[in-house]
Amino acid sequence: MSQQQRTSRPSKGSKKSKKKSSPRSGRWLKLLFKLAVVALLILAVVMVYLDAIVQERFSGKRWTVPARVYARPLELYVGGKLAQEDFLIELNALGYQRERSAERVGTYSLNANTIEFHSRGFQFYEGAESAQRVRVSFTNGYITKLTNVQGQPVAVVRIEPLLIGGLYPAHKEDRILVRLDQVPELLTQTLVVVEDREFYQHWGVSPKSIARAVWVNASAGGLRQGGSTLTQQLVKNFFLTSERSLKRKATEALMSLLLEMHYDKDEILEAYLNEVFLGQDGERAIHGFGLASQYYFSQPLAELQVHQVALLVGMVKGPSFYNPRRQPERALERRNLVIDLLASQDVISQQDAEQAKKKPLGVSKKGSLANTTYPAFLDLVKRQLREDYRDQDLTEEGLRIFTSMDPILQRKAEDALQRTFKGLAGRKGIEAIETAMVVTHPETGEVQALLGSRQPRYAGFNRALDALRPIGSLVKPAIYLTALQQPEKYTLTSYLQDEAFSVQDAKGRIWSPQNYDRKEHGTIFLYQGLAFSHNLSSAKLGLDLGLPKVLQTLKGLGLQRDWPAYPSMLLGAGSMTPFETAHLYQTLANGGFNSSLRAIRSVLNAEGEPLGRYPLQVEQRFDAGAIYLTQEALRRTMTEGTGRSAYNKLPKNLRLAGKTGTSNDLRDSWFAGYGQDILAVAWMGRDDNGQTSLTGASGALQLWTNFMQHARPTSLTQVPPDNVVEVLIDPVQGFAVSQGCAGVVKMPYLKGSEPPLGNFCGEAVKPVEEKVQQESEGGFKDWIKGWLSR
Amino acid sequence: MKNKSLAFLMAATVLSGCGTLRPSIPVVDAGAPVTPGAMRDRDARQGAVVTESRNEAPVAYGAPESQYVKPDTGYAPSAPIQGEEFDAPLHTPESIYESTAPSTPTPIAAEQQTSAVVAQIEPPVLALLSTAQQQQNQGDLNGAAASLERAQRIAPREPQVLYRLAEVRLAQGDAQQAEQIAQRGLSLSSGRPALQAGLWDLIAETREKRGDAAGAAQARQRARISL
Repeated sequence: MSQQQRTSRPSKGSKKSKKKSSPRSGRWLKLLFKLAVVALLILAVVMVYLDAIVQERFSGKRWTVPARVYARPLELYVGGKLAQEDFLIELNALGYQRERSAERVGTYSLNANTIEFHSRGFQFYEGAESAQRVRVSFTNGYITKLTNVQGQPVAVVRIEPLLIGGLYPAHKEDRILVRLDQVPELLTQTLVVVEDREFYQHWGVSPKSIARAVWVNASAGGLRQGGSTLTQQLVKNFFLTSERSLKRKATEALMSLLLEMHYDKDEILEAYLNEVFLGQDGERAIHGFGLASQYYFSQPLAELQVHQVALLVGMVKGPSFYNPRRQPERALERRNLVIDLLASQDVISQQDAEQAKKKPLGVSKKGSLANTTYPAFLDLVKRQLREDYRDQDLTEEGLRIFTSMDPILQRKAEDALQRTFKGLAGRKGIEAIETAMVVTHPETGEVQALLGSRQPRYAGFNRALDALRPIGSLVKPAIYLTALQQPEKYTLTSYLQDEAFSVQDAKGRIWSPQNYDRKEHGTIFLYQGLAFSHNLSSAKLGLDLGLPKVLQTLKGLGLQRDWPAYPSMLLGAGSMTPFETAHLYQTLANGGFNSSLRAIRSVLNAEGEPLGRYPLQVEQRFDAGAIYLTQEALRRTMTEGTGRSAYNKLPKNLRLAGKTGTSNDLRDSWFAGYGQDILAVAWMGRDDNGQTSLTGASGALQLWTNFMQHARPTSLTQVPPDNVVEVLIDPVQGFAVSQGCAGVVKMPYLKGSEPPLGNFCGEAVKPVEEKVQQESEGGFKDWIKGWLSR
Repeated sequence: MKNKSLAFLMAATVLSGCGTLRPSIPVVDAGAPVTPGAMRDRDARQGAVVTESRNEAPVAYGAPESQYVKPDTGYAPSAPIQGEEFDAPLHTPESIYESTAPSTPTPIAAEQQTSAVVAQIEPPVLALLSTAQQQQNQGDLNGAAASLERAQRIAPREPQVLYRLAEVRLAQGDAQQAEQIAQRGLSLSSGRPALQAGLWDLIAETREKRGDAAGAAQARQRARISL
């Protein structure tokens, strides 16, 4: 409002003076006067209008900031499973600079198996982690020592999490807001020296440069002419289109004057630092120095050094022309020009300038951990957030989202994907094969990595979440878990008949399942039906148990779909997504405790205040003993059954549980399996649901194995629950043995369901006769050797 | 403890049902020759069938006898069980990763746990437990729960962390989740009677909160059995 009064005053003044002019030239003067009045009135109206725009857009919230999504923070503690090379990858991704000694924040030094680093400090949900200098030593993929610089042990250190993306609105403008006091003084000085040396003196426009710009533009026919003040540049970016005309130039000048009238230099400078366009990353526009620093160097703005500051400020003139990743030579030349300018203006010493010019550009590599997009995982995060937040909150409020994503495991999953397809190259139709993988932590239910397609960088159909496919034999553990919950009827070594049969379903259709090898396997031990994925015995068992019972087990494991109770369900005719399938196996891997798969841990608002938390939720659905037995069958699937080829690449003594799955006509290749701390479900198939040349073992298992080989899961625990006993039994008939002898195996049973004693190692002996038995042991062994060699 | 009682219940069921339960597996004429199935075994043992009858009827320890064919019939599944032989010690750390880990959390069974003191807990977990305690003391229950979940990620099988988490959840008013988390803790505390008793007491509390007096009394009973 005050502006309106100021602009209207001069016109009143001129009106009075015009009345005293001579009558002779009156006609012309009158016209001129009228024109001037009209012009001034128009100008006044324009000024009022522009002022309203300036004030409205500049006061209050100037920008909407997309939510930032962070990976899990790395936790360091003695005994923690972390390979030194993986730690270095993460440090580099976080923009830590290697130096001889880690004195400054954001640096590290490396000495054999010990890394010293100076962490940055970070605001987490449960409180702030302060910046600290720490030494960490590694041996064989584990942290063996963690101390401060004085050598005193430190219990646990958490490093700031890697930024893995943002949730952008439609226009995809991205920025990290910085306050002026967070900006290194060198940066503002450089900016002023390079772009607008009179910044602190002018009123928003520099008449000299306007004149020059008009002249040059007129004579050169619209060529871009710099020389606008920082205020004008801000106005141009903030309020105006990129059109270059005299009218726009005038508007820009007027608005600049208005801006300077209302706001002080620091506010304008701070706005400029956050608004300036510094590059294009696909559809995402990089705005402001805060984000540019992360985008080009993976470092916070405060840590930038002379050569980095010079590069960023140099890029203001033309972010794509001087793009350091695409035009490194041009960018280097421009950077060095800026450094020289700084020295000539005495901002830095000549010596510092020489040193800075010797440094490489130092931009982080595109596609490195620091500079990668994770569309599949972010898609999951977005979907889970949408249950609690409005879209607008996510794209505009600058929320900080903390997820469970493990960028190191994600990278290993992506590497495994590459290796797997390389290994499958040359197979018929392999080009059309798509894939997905879900990686979770069995004991927390947290999603650690996600592959949604064969091209992990491509944000398209997210197969991990949306590919709804028949799960084939992945359904079978539900049948066996149903059986093993009835220890009075079934144990792992009960006998099953694997033979052809037919049943009529409710609609009168005849169903005659077949084994994959089209053979019958006769009498088998119960666990073998699962381990070798025999269809006949598994389906028969499921029918004996009753379809509703098996469906109930599936629901307990986490199935949320309504599958019709058809017999074909027992062999996996029902469809699920890889993500849902991971949920089923999660319950198996977590001792019968169901928890929904979570990708988000907590949310902070833009000011770092806690907003929401996604706590651990568990629900016991099954007896731990029955789960343990089912897991034993799945473990044997890996050592002797359909999953055994995994051990071509994995260490033999690594205890894992898993299951292959293949749908009808080889349309879907599945594998689900886990160790103590990593669970992964892999799927391969065609988007058009066509036939592939892959079984669960030749396709998805390869991806799974390639992943586990580098992900290094911890062996499954061998501590059975309270109600389980482990019994030594003979491997031929499955009877308990009263004493050990060659060939016997260990098998878990629910207490009370142990098998009766047999005669595999000789006569059952009473404890009193122990001595006699020991004497005759040799004889029994000879006897066994005798028939073994037969 | 719950598991133990479950086992008792099951044993009782089995014993009482022994005479009437029929195997669901089709009965095969024991006199008929058994054809060994396809050779799937990498070892040399398969196909071997014990043919000699040298034994009396096996002793059944209240086991589901009916599902087994008698050992003297010579009837056996087509492929033998593979895997660890008996001379392998029962609880060897088999993972190369585990064995090279200098200081991974002690297996629960190996702990000689007599009380719920936090003395045997790994330093990082201990540090986080104390952080959580401070936060709880300051009334920051959300922060305490978050710190405990941090501890749980570091030592997922440490029931004392779950015990504390259940306590905090209860304090937050989520009795349902508090009980479930305590149950998870129980399933991981075999051989630690004091801790089991503590968890049962906590479960009793959660049930009282939900107005389940009978369930609470039952849990208290379990707590006494544990000790």
